[in-house]
Amino acid sequence: MNGEDLIERVLREGGRRADEVEVFYARGESISTEIKKGIIGTAEESEAWSMAVRTVKDGRIGFSSTGDPDRWKECLDAALASGGLATPQQWGGFPKPANLTSTASSSDGDLIVAVEDAAGMVGDLLSGAAEHPVEVVGGGANLARSYLMVANTSGVLYGMDRTVAAVSLEAIREQSTGYEFDASPFRADIDARSVGEQAASLAARSLSGRDIETGRYDVVLSPIAAASILGQVILPALSGRNVKAGRSFLADKIGEQVFDERLSVYDDPFVPGLGSTTWDAEGVPTRRLVFVEQGVLRQFAYDLKTGYRYGEGSTGSAVRSGGEPPGIGFHNLFVDGPREKEPGDERVVWVHDVVGAHTANPFSGDFSVEISNPFWMEGGDLVEPIRTAMLSGNVFEMLREIGGLGKDTRRVGRLTIPSIRLNNQQIIGK
Amino acid sequence: MAEVRYYDIRCVRGEVTLVDIDNGVVESAGTSFFNKAVIRVLGSNGWGILTRDHVDIDSKRELNSLVEAASRLAAVTQDRLGLADAPRGVLPVPPLGEDPRDIDLEEKTRLLAGIEGAARVLGVGNTRARYTEGIDSVRFLDSSGNEYAYEAVRSGFSVIAIASKNGVMQMGSERDHITTGFNLRGKHDLGRKAGEVAVSLLDAKLAKGGTKRAVLDPELAGVFTHEAVGHASEGDLVREGASVLGGKIGERIGCEGLVIVDDPTLHEFGFIPVDAEGVAVQRTEIIRDGILSSYLHNRETLAAVGNGIPGHARAEHGAPPIVRMSNTFIENGDAAYDEILAECKDGILLIGSRGGQVDPGRGVFQFNAEYGYLVEGGETTDMVRDVSLSGEILSTLHNIVLVGNDRKMSPGYCGKGGQSVPVSDGAPHLLLENATIGGRGE
Repeated sequence: MNGEDLIERVLREGGRRADEVEVFYARGESISTEIKKGIIGTAEESEAWSMAVRTVKDGRIGFSSTGDPDRWKECLDAALASGGLATPQQWGGFPKPANLTSTASSSDGDLIVAVEDAAGMVGDLLSGAAEHPVEVVGGGANLARSYLMVANTSGVLYGMDRTVAAVSLEAIREQSTGYEFDASPFRADIDARSVGEQAASLAARSLSGRDIETGRYDVVLSPIAAASILGQVILPALSGRNVKAGRSFLADKIGEQVFDERLSVYDDPFVPGLGSTTWDAEGVPTRRLVFVEQGVLRQFAYDLKTGYRYGEGSTGSAVRSGGEPPGIGFHNLFVDGPREKEPGDERVVWVHDVVGAHTANPFSGDFSVEISNPFWMEGGDLVEPIRTAMLSGNVFEMLREIGGLGKDTRRVGRLTIPSIRLNNQQIIGK
Repeated sequence: MAEVRYYDIRCVRGEVTLVDIDNGVVESAGTSFFNKAVIRVLGSNGWGILTRDHVDIDSKRELNSLVEAASRLAAVTQDRLGLADAPRGVLPVPPLGEDPRDIDLEEKTRLLAGIEGAARVLGVGNTRARYTEGIDSVRFLDSSGNEYAYEAVRSGFSVIAIASKNGVMQMGSERDHITTGFNLRGKHDLGRKAGEVAVSLLDAKLAKGGTKRAVLDPELAGVFTHEAVGHASEGDLVREGASVLGGKIGERIGCEGLVIVDDPTLHEFGFIPVDAEGVAVQRTEIIRDGILSSYLHNRETLAAVGNGIPGHARAEHGAPPIVRMSNTFIENGDAAYDEILAECKDGILLIGSRGGQVDPGRGVFQFNAEYGYLVEGGETTDMVRDVSLSGEILSTLHNIVLVGNDRKMSPGYCGKGGQSVPVSDGAPHLLLENATIGGRGE
């Protein structure tokens, strides 16, 4: 008993002891092949099973999870005990079944979780990397399929398949490194050979970079660098929980011009992507959410708990990770806007990635990071590597006036983002 | 069945208790359960690895079928690995001062609320505290007949305070985790400190970037040790050619007198009684008197690279073991703190850590201090915020001019390969020359 019959049993048993019960169930399998010293070093297969239970009694929300179906009773007891300690809050009930008419696909029927396929992708990565004189120091391929289900005592019972195909490669030449990656629900989206070639090209071309003087420069953040810096600061600032708790720089700014009018930020759960779904992690129907429209802040993201507490209503933004309770997140987030010109037309500093983005201050937006694979860019081409340097600034300030968006939009996890040109940024040389 | 040169299985069954209090509201307080197993088979070339939820380690039949499935995976690997012989043995787990399991969830919640409340000093608008308790029951057996079991208990908390004024928002945070008992009593001072730091940062200046002399406090110097030296000495990175310390054993890479150690036997937060491959743990001097002397190894990287000490394999539950640090630190030197400040003359004092990151292949690291003070004429003056330090591993260790005599360890979690394990790191106060300081002050 570890599927729908178990869910029903937990709902039935729990329903006798609490006002409401919710079960979130996930099972999955994945295969990964990992590169060691330029060949396949390990092959790994995982099977995972987990069940998370939430109970609500008199506005007190309890939570527990287990990876062991035999401990379901303990898990339910723990959820009820946990609810006994939680501070009671406004609560309007788990969602009732909705007529989900939209479609969202994050599953590839042709994706097979087989070690031979993952090994084949590694072969493609390596053949791409072989186009440049580098050593491959790591990377690999991953194929996964999972089944997620949410059910509650109001009658919701939704299930969906998810698949992921992912590759990455890290190359080195002397003390110059290059890293590239890609992930998608769809196997056919992944061009492993090109990812390997790109990583190797970065390592090869970044060799013997020249020093840069401390000063102010026009900078182009590649989609990866932009995703790292913005992801650390903008995403938490859009979470309704942080907004209501006074932890968001954007709180009280609804309707204001917070960013350059060429920037929009939205979550679209219906386009194909890693986070596509028609219902969120609490069974609330998802919808397209425009957070920032042409630079104007429009709304924040809420889950049930925060939505009920502050009278805002859920925006269908609940997500889950591991055995944790649901929290506010995003499904397929886009940073978008008109692409007026190539952002690197004149001589600019192009930054592929940054080291230490997670040390940015999420409340103030201040950051100072080490930049990876920086180049002088002229006419849109990378012409000369730069040795190493730091980039310092403030995310909120720099997005108020950008130099333009590039045509090189790409997926970086659940974020889809182009390169961003920023003028007059501070670089600290060595 | 495909060739099986060796196999092992490691099961971790346990409980995680979390309490989350946000601005006085108990958001969640509860316990969750897990039971994870990792089965590794070394085939004719490399590893085939299986991870499963809830495996019965005592069932011979189940074990045999898992080993067979893992051997089929191993058959696609190409990299021929060997396993070095390594000493065996399990250290006793330190006795628990107070067993967190004897304290009910209600009391834990009340104690955490006290710490969270203490952070709410005048000027603080938001506080948040989180209690984390982990009980792991670990069982291991391998095809060479080694078998062990132990229990690890961890208990600790973090507290964050946010102060805001005129649109400026600043944060103070503190944490404390131990592996020797319950850790929520008598900790109000840490809550208060988080609040006070947040408030004083409102009026702090932005640091000006550039190259200067820097004094690192024991916490930041510990992160520096971990990021800049520890990771680059990990045998797997060395083997893969992804560390600037590769091929440098016996070379001087730091100033005279510099001793950097990773010691899993210390009863700090990174303590392990035995490593995740059943190998005995021991103190490892990575750098002795400025000279690179040992890499950190597991059995496989010891066989491939040599020049180091095994017993550094660690794994998050449900993940395969990889080479990791445990308790990493710079040994005390003989400089007093006042002497270090005086010698710094004009520079910057960096305090606490908001995290860091390293690219060991390129030999470049970056980390952020929580805050700092300008040093002028050998004395600390104005407080500064949002200040970071970056540099190159190979040159920075030569730039340590003075090593203090006041080493302190700080607990934390370290991420690598998608796995997070408890560690501690520390150092005495250090004086660095030619440090690259990041900050956006003009």
